[in-house]
Amino acid sequence: MNAFLAAFWAEALKARRSKVSLVTAAAFSIFPIIGGLFMMIMRDPEGARAMGLIGAKAQLLSGGRADWPAYFDFLSVGTAGGGAILFAFVTAWVFGREFSDHTAKELLALPTPREIIVAAKFVVAALWIVGLTILIFALGLGIGAAIGLEGWSIELGWTSFWMLIITVLLTLLLMPFVALFASAGRGYLSPLAWAFSTLGLAQVAGLMGWSDWFPWAVPAQFSLMFSVVYGQRAVPLGIHSYILLVLTCIVGAAATFAWWLRADQAR
Amino acid sequence: MSFAIETYELSKSYGQVRAVDSVNLRVGLGEIYGFIGLNGAGKTTTIRALLGMVRPSAGSVRVLGQAAGPNGRGPWRRVGHLVERPTAYPELTTRENLEVARRLQGISDTSATSHVIERLDLAAYADRKAGGLSTGNLQRLGLARALLHEPELLILDEPANGLDPAGVVEIRELLASLAREKGVTIFMSSHILTEVDRLATRIGIIHQGHLLEELDAEKLEALRSRRLIVKARQLEAAQSALAQAGFKVQAGEGALVLDEARAVEAPEKVATILVNAGTPPFRLAVEQEDLEDYFLRLTGEKL
Repeated sequence: MNAFLAAFWAEALKARRSKVSLVTAAAFSIFPIIGGLFMMIMRDPEGARAMGLIGAKAQLLSGGRADWPAYFDFLSVGTAGGGAILFAFVTAWVFGREFSDHTAKELLALPTPREIIVAAKFVVAALWIVGLTILIFALGLGIGAAIGLEGWSIELGWTSFWMLIITVLLTLLLMPFVALFASAGRGYLSPLAWAFSTLGLAQVAGLMGWSDWFPWAVPAQFSLMFSVVYGQRAVPLGIHSYILLVLTCIVGAAATFAWWLRADQAR
Repeated sequence: MSFAIETYELSKSYGQVRAVDSVNLRVGLGEIYGFIGLNGAGKTTTIRALLGMVRPSAGSVRVLGQAAGPNGRGPWRRVGHLVERPTAYPELTTRENLEVARRLQGISDTSATSHVIERLDLAAYADRKAGGLSTGNLQRLGLARALLHEPELLILDEPANGLDPAGVVEIRELLASLAREKGVTIFMSSHILTEVDRLATRIGIIHQGHLLEELDAEKLEALRSRRLIVKARQLEAAQSALAQAGFKVQAGEGALVLDEARAVEAPEKVATILVNAGTPPFRLAVEQEDLEDYFLRLTGEKL
């Protein structure tokens, strides 16, 4: 446990000192801000029509509603889609920076086992991502209150919060493969290419009606299933969808640990 | 355990390239072992195999009596290392980089970081971000990380890289004192052969993946060739006089070179011959082949 705490402390320090933590927080803050902007536009239909394309987009993304349920839907579905990329960016940084900064060789011949270091990296990436989620929810609450959205209740707030957290936890299960690509690809390019590819394939799976069989589409479908605005678009998920998602996580994590333990570190 | 490092038929291939081929190293406890070779000779691959960073294609590695790698296992609490160019987390300060290393080394003594900062003369840079350090100070940081846990064995790849002349001397003295006073075994690769020459008690020469020779410093001393260098105002006349006296003489740049034992061991006789021939020498010097010359002679490489 001491070895894990040491590795966790080291990983947390690297994350705190990096500008990347601020950049991801700033990037993720865009969701609640854009959502709030759309809500403001939709509360003024005349103004929305006058705004042309932006008004039409706001109409599409908010389902023509400007209330708390629609706003929370926007945050949840937006997190499931955009979050997959941003979370991949965080994971890619946590693992890939050791290769782009050539510091990986300092982690290989230590009394702290390599698997402990990899586990600490996963935990820091997960906490970082959950922290970002809480940040956007808190920011969303502030923005929603500031623009005076209607339809608020404590129950709605809690339900929406937990839906967002579950969506994020489902997305987190996809991150081990990103970590694997960051490690085996020795940097940032491979994991980000992987994240964009899987996001694109998830869209294709959705069009084909196979989202429930494609793990990278499951988090977005989950958020759609419980959405008051977009619910009719969701492909129903079954137990097989969650089993496939968990298996994807296990395979990705096992491959990442195996790579750190066994692969040649010749660079 | 009589050896700090032992390799048995250690080989490593990358595709068709045989980087290290059947290397049998024996580094005794307390030795300062200089591992020399040209770029691409297999030094760094060997060092990475010693540290369990690469999996041998064949053979095995034992470090301080334990099998090293390939799954990251080894006596790493007792080993300090510096592999290739030094690196550090650029957004962390020198002290924070060493703090990370201290914790990952499992050292509970919190003063270890400050102690090694003083020892490596890094106090002025302790709170400076590593991203802004010069190459020399980054090298010091890498050495500080290697020494932080007071290891029994140091495995250092080019420890003098990037250091200024004063730094080179300082690090040489530090390593010598660690070996002398604390019995630390040092395995170091270097392309600065004069450094290896001054420090090492045993030398291994690797060339094209093969360990060509392993020898003690005393044996190296005996193997090095010596030669007599003669300078005179009239070089041609001097060469002719020495040739008439039966010496084999080579004409160098502004000097004559004699490498026969009778010339090297009796330079006064050479001087007498030249004085009698009316072409007295203004410089007579017995020069010993340095490690660089010996290395080049052994590997068949030319300057």
